[in-house]
Amino acid sequence: MAESKRITVDPVTRIEGHLKIDVEIENGVVKDAWSSGTMARGIEILLKGKDPRDASYVTSRICGVCYSVHQLCSAYALDDAFGAKVPTGGTLLRNLVMGAEYIYDHVLHFYHLTALDYLDIMAIAKYNGKDKELNAVKDKIVGLVKSNDTYPLTPRYEPDEFCVNDPDVVIGAVKHYLDALSMQAKARNMGAIFGGRQPHYQSIVAGGMTQLPDLNQVLMFKTMLDEQAKFVNEVYFPDVIAFGTGPLLPLATGGVGGGHYNYLSYGALQVNPPRKELLFPAGVITDMDPANIQVRKFDPAKITESVKHAWYENSKPLHPSVGETKFDLDKEDAYTFVKAPRYDGYSMEVGPLARLLIAKDPTLLDLVKQGVKPGAVARHACRAIETRMVVDACYKWIDQLIAEMTKPGFKIHDSDHWEIPENGEGVGFYEPPRGALGHWINIKDKKIENYQAIVPTTWNASPRCEGEVRGQYEESLIGVPVPDPDNPINVVRVIRSFDPCLACAIHLIDPQSNEIKKYIVE
Amino acid sequence: MSPITGELNRRDFLKYTAITAAALGLSQIDVVNSVSTAMAASSSKKPPVIWLEGQDCAGCTTSFASALNPPVASIILDTLSVRYHETIMAASGHQSEEVLHDTVKRGGYVLVVEGSIPLADGRFCTVGGRPFEDILKECARNAAAIIAVGACATYGGIPAAGPTGAVGVRDVIKNKPIINISTCPVHVDHLVGTIVYYLTTKKVPPLDKEGRPLMYFGETIHDNCRRRSYFEEGMLLQDWNDPKQKNWCLLDKGCKGPVTYADCSVRRWNDGLNFCIDCGAGCRGCSEPIFYEGMSPLYSDFSGEAEKLKQEANQRAKMRKEVK
Repeated sequence: MAESKRITVDPVTRIEGHLKIDVEIENGVVKDAWSSGTMARGIEILLKGKDPRDASYVTSRICGVCYSVHQLCSAYALDDAFGAKVPTGGTLLRNLVMGAEYIYDHVLHFYHLTALDYLDIMAIAKYNGKDKELNAVKDKIVGLVKSNDTYPLTPRYEPDEFCVNDPDVVIGAVKHYLDALSMQAKARNMGAIFGGRQPHYQSIVAGGMTQLPDLNQVLMFKTMLDEQAKFVNEVYFPDVIAFGTGPLLPLATGGVGGGHYNYLSYGALQVNPPRKELLFPAGVITDMDPANIQVRKFDPAKITESVKHAWYENSKPLHPSVGETKFDLDKEDAYTFVKAPRYDGYSMEVGPLARLLIAKDPTLLDLVKQGVKPGAVARHACRAIETRMVVDACYKWIDQLIAEMTKPGFKIHDSDHWEIPENGEGVGFYEPPRGALGHWINIKDKKIENYQAIVPTTWNASPRCEGEVRGQYEESLIGVPVPDPDNPINVVRVIRSFDPCLACAIHLIDPQSNEIKKYIVE
Repeated sequence: MSPITGELNRRDFLKYTAITAAALGLSQIDVVNSVSTAMAASSSKKPPVIWLEGQDCAGCTTSFASALNPPVASIILDTLSVRYHETIMAASGHQSEEVLHDTVKRGGYVLVVEGSIPLADGRFCTVGGRPFEDILKECARNAAAIIAVGACATYGGIPAAGPTGAVGVRDVIKNKPIINISTCPVHVDHLVGTIVYYLTTKKVPPLDKEGRPLMYFGETIHDNCRRRSYFEEGMLLQDWNDPKQKNWCLLDKGCKGPVTYADCSVRRWNDGLNFCIDCGAGCRGCSEPIFYEGMSPLYSDFSGEAEKLKQEANQRAKMRKEVK
């Protein structure tokens, strides 16, 4: 009889929000897994009865890491409900703010949220090279060790065979970790040129933008983009590829953390507004055969949400348009605040890997051809690939913006649709760095009647549904090697490869009113 | 051979590491500081910090991570000893809980709290299986100083308008002074400045009646607004597309500057790059205890206050004309 052991990682750190992971280990590999979100605020509930225009400001606070995407997606839903047509200038400005978000978010995720799982930082002490700057990094880390104060870099899970311990490589990576701290802040400041300030940008509102830019601001953005582009192309992208095809190759070709091969993208970012072509196309893949990827059309009507194992009163899985949410903290069999969205009954993965598979991105397909399987390492690679795509798109948007700004009658806002409609419904779909995001709004008597968001982490971190089909976090942990239950480093590697955002995933909760929520999806 | 991966080997990796280190000069401040810091570190005693996250969005952490002057790397590694911070620490699970326990036992740390505390039911926010309220109380006991950052941890913020009974730290910890650095999210200058003030003087800075440092929250946004002269002349922005109106007063777009105490008008955000009023959106009153519920509707007059102010400004404008 095999020995089985259940371990709990709580909190899973270096993610956004509060997450607990339970895994059952048998013969050194994960046999079963449960993902639990452990915090809730009730953002959608508190929006009821408010001025609909508040929504883009308030939903930004769903998440302090990916704030802009909620603000934008909410504004999309408001644009829709108000009947507003955002002028091309407004769309370009929004796209540039989102571009800054992509660059900062992916860089931060790789260096600050995951790299520590793949590096034996203490190998730095063995660096013997002559490089002055790298020696300064060495002195810094050695100084911390000598003073017996290496927080927050330690304690940590013990490095395993997949941790890079070549001193020359580690010291370079740690230097990039420190550089990236400044780069992520600068990328967000770049977004603030048009976004107003960060975190929690201000200028994205129903109908467009609030800040008429001047040419100097555009040039400033471009100058800052040049610095980001250099870092992305010469440091971040090569780091990810070097790690993925070097020390982490066994994890990459083993497809560790693959999970269900089901992928969803809503599609986002007009390449050349007002034309419809998207930088990231929409689509659906189920039960993927990597050698023969079949992409189907995305149909919003096929989304349902299950609450079977979440702290809500039981009901059938329902489409968000007729969804019913009753809160139940004492429910047996429930283990999370995260609901379980499904597409056509499938448990889906959303995010960079889904987007690039659906786009049949040649760089990703090239990696797949070389034996990289969908999984934790592939997710990091996809982030790096799409960051480069976004950088290129930003340059195009800048050129187009300058052309638009110099035309007479340049507009950033649909001011004919700023006043609140008596009644209305709206939906916004977007693809933030973490994956498919949808906001739904219902307006009655000029007030918010109902608000709902289904966010990327709700898809990925979902619990089991009817039929006990696991969510993607849970499924992706099955078979992951954990030779030492006291050192479950592979578990956190896989989970962090999704870039979890739990504050996003759990924004909906309603202990008292038990109201029926109605949302319309077009 | 693949154009992406085929050519890349360890030597190349090291080469561009060195190239970028030299060419980008991005971490020059780290580099300049680090030699002396490394030498001094063994004898220095960096103040320990515990940063707790309750019902938060990590926006205050993100804001803190925006520090460029001084850079966040230098603050985290050279100035402070960040023992516990869920979003940045290497440790996970039981290791992180052990560090917390250990640091609390030794005492003498600065406690920073981000996010509100749900009093309706402890299960609305648990970390390591424990209600956040219990963790906060335990950490507050041996703290040398307690700093609540952002709207949620100070006064409940946006979650206070929701169903979880969310409150700020001052409603949970009543026997110790709490420094409230409000705004949503916290302004990194306010936080860094307050920490430096405390480390230098070992004292809580002078606070207003809401527990906010007077050095940052002594005057209203409206007092120092660069659009103030337009307000006095009754020139209020109506259309964001009109270049002529670009710098006009934002009161008709629901600006809460007149009732909001904070120095954003002079300090601005993100190293002076921009802020809510410069970008044409207007102030949403995020530093005030009544935020968010009491400031809603955010984009129009929320209590008749704006109408009153406009009439007063009209009176003043009329008097100025008469004097002329």
